[in-house]
Amino acid sequence: MTVKRRTFLKGTVAAGAFAATGFPHIWIKDSSLARAAEGEIKVGVLFSLTGTTAIVEESLNKATVMAIEEINDQGGINGMKIVPVIEDPASDPATFAEKARKLVLGDKCVSVFGSYTSASRKAVLPVFEKRNNLYFYPTLYEGRECSKNVIYTGAVPNQQQDEFVPWLVEKFGKRWSLIGSNYIYPKEENNYCKKLLAGLGAEVVNEEYVPLGHSEFSSVINKFQSDKPDVIFSTVVGDSVVALHRQYRADGLDPEKMPMASLTTSENEVAAMGGDAAAGHFTSAPYFMVWDSPENVKFVDAYRKRWGADKVTHFVSEPCYFQVHLFKQAVEKLAPSDITPPNIREAIKGEEMIAPQGKVRIEKKNLHTWLWPKIGVAKSDGQFEILKQSADWLEPVPYKAYENQDCTEEGLKES
Amino acid sequence: MSRRTAVQIAVYGIVCLAILLVPTFYDDAFVLNKYSRYLVLGILAIALSLSWGYTGILNLGQATSFGLGSYCMAMGLKLRTVPVHTGSAGLPDFMVWNNVDKLPWFWEPFNSMTFAIFAGIAVPVIFAVLLGWFIFRGRVTGVYVAIITLAVLVVVNLLIIDQQRFTGGFNGITDLAQLEIFGLTFDAYGSSSYYLIAVSLTFSLFFALAITKSKAGLILQAIRDQENRVRYFGYDVATFKMFSFAVSAGIAGLAGMLYTIVMEFASPTFLGVPLSLAIVIWCAVGGRQSLLGAMLGAIVVTGMQGALSESETFLDTWTLIMGFLFVVVVLFLPKGLAGAAEMLLDRIWPSAGNGNGRANKSTSRNTLPRKTEPAE
Repeated sequence: MTVKRRTFLKGTVAAGAFAATGFPHIWIKDSSLARAAEGEIKVGVLFSLTGTTAIVEESLNKATVMAIEEINDQGGINGMKIVPVIEDPASDPATFAEKARKLVLGDKCVSVFGSYTSASRKAVLPVFEKRNNLYFYPTLYEGRECSKNVIYTGAVPNQQQDEFVPWLVEKFGKRWSLIGSNYIYPKEENNYCKKLLAGLGAEVVNEEYVPLGHSEFSSVINKFQSDKPDVIFSTVVGDSVVALHRQYRADGLDPEKMPMASLTTSENEVAAMGGDAAAGHFTSAPYFMVWDSPENVKFVDAYRKRWGADKVTHFVSEPCYFQVHLFKQAVEKLAPSDITPPNIREAIKGEEMIAPQGKVRIEKKNLHTWLWPKIGVAKSDGQFEILKQSADWLEPVPYKAYENQDCTEEGLKES
Repeated sequence: MSRRTAVQIAVYGIVCLAILLVPTFYDDAFVLNKYSRYLVLGILAIALSLSWGYTGILNLGQATSFGLGSYCMAMGLKLRTVPVHTGSAGLPDFMVWNNVDKLPWFWEPFNSMTFAIFAGIAVPVIFAVLLGWFIFRGRVTGVYVAIITLAVLVVVNLLIIDQQRFTGGFNGITDLAQLEIFGLTFDAYGSSSYYLIAVSLTFSLFFALAITKSKAGLILQAIRDQENRVRYFGYDVATFKMFSFAVSAGIAGLAGMLYTIVMEFASPTFLGVPLSLAIVIWCAVGGRQSLLGAMLGAIVVTGMQGALSESETFLDTWTLIMGFLFVVVVLFLPKGLAGAAEMLLDRIWPSAGNGNGRANKSTSRNTLPRKTEPAE
């Protein structure tokens, strides 16, 4: 008899767990009451403070924390303070998943700001999708994702390349060499680049991928010397960027004749490799530290005042900053009892603000962001000189390379 | 001897029972999910304890088996996903992204979940037997075993990252379906997965215990302490080592499969050097010559890592504190926490200590042959 009762109990517990996960609305409604109860809004901040990507991610953590402090100093959101729960996922996807669960299930945060690499975003995605929470992702990435639980504030391929590639073809020529790190981001960027090049009648003389963390580029550079491409299109990431630029310079190649055009080299990488190695190469991004606008001057000053005068801001830390402000604007529209992740998502659709890079807007359809792509050339002082800004802000189209697919409010549509 | 075993079985049983009862006290999705993860790593530590603690094979590549198991499960679950990012072709999304237009032949059998689960254990075991064949038939011992296993781990890891058309590369295999067996769905946040893992843990623990208590287990321990003497007795040392190596790989493969269920993805970091070395640390902290000690070592260390890095006070210093603790344990508790517990038990209750002191027994086992060695 007792055994039966125990099995019954276990069964009920299991069934209860199923019910809770099966009907997210009930689940979220319950916890939302706790969320707004004490006049505090809990958000997660999930950037690695230790491990291989810690250097970049620490700057993202700093930009996020600074934005939260700014908002709280100005009285919070409708009188409620934002309380950041900061976790260190240690550059490890499994730890990212564990910490994301803690933030979503344990701390019951209404949103989480986090991730630099795609691998870590993919690792945390299941918990946000199953618990219908919201993840703010600041990094430029390869596109081709259509999650209703992620707000993407970084650039997708069409935003970085639509202006950049034609400009380079016109300025330098039609023989291109593509070099990237061996993972999905460079492959996707190159897929799109090749499409653009085909439309412009340009040719790809070589396409090569090196392992992540690769630092020996002599064979790659030999290939450059024999192919003599007009443009080297680089989607190499991380420490490899530094090695590639240094060896390029050491082998005496000339950026005037054979420039590298990159989507991933920011002020951060330039600082690591030294301005001399970077000088003369091009980067396309929505934000550069030298961008001259009152909002950016304010942002850079505040950042340096808060974290140190030697610190740089870059095209991933800027979205970290403005996405918190967009979050604030969205939450402001909600009554305290309505502050739940799905409501924040609905409220943030179409939300606009003047960010340091210019006016940005969250696209209603795909939760990506309208941005202002710019073309910059690196200088030996470690900064960029902005040569061109797009005439208008650019719509994010995460599936631009795939005409039969479109990301809509109802999810991915195929025609 | 039999009384000692009985006490040991009782202790193991009580711990397993306690683990099985956790969900009746905590019905919180996050807590259960977190504990499930620690338990899976506990299984992994049992696997290493069997090969390192009981056979003396320092396998620095234990994560190879773990990762292979994890990928087998992920492949099975991936093919069950509603292809949200791909459309109707049924190809995993990352293959479409890499312009693969047909499911590769070695993915085909994973359409059957039974095969995937079978493969999750069989693939690591076969891999270990092949590797063990070369290592142990070649009479490679000591530090060279550690180097070879570590190198193999790195090779497999690089291969998986490089072959992203078939493995998802650096991002791993993500966006998985939930495991369903006999109409039961194993939700990563529910007690169902927790029970699955707790039962697997109990099974692995007692299976490993049974091996160490068997005659073969005795020979394994003899090999650990005096390999040459066992060989002179006429035992086929290489076969015994391969056996231990393979069983250990099978248990690690099982742990890998369960890890995929808990984490909801498979990643090349599951076969990473950091994880593989962490397993050695867990065993060292818990006590490698005790299956239970190693398991608890894994749970305690990962639990502490989680707790320390979550607390605001230690956010900047938690890695330092963990490192300091490891140094302290290795310096002052060479037999780990299990050894310390037994020493303590001996002090408090000497008669019982003599009866069931595993540490005592293995010490005598360790020291006796050494004492007589010069005489030979």
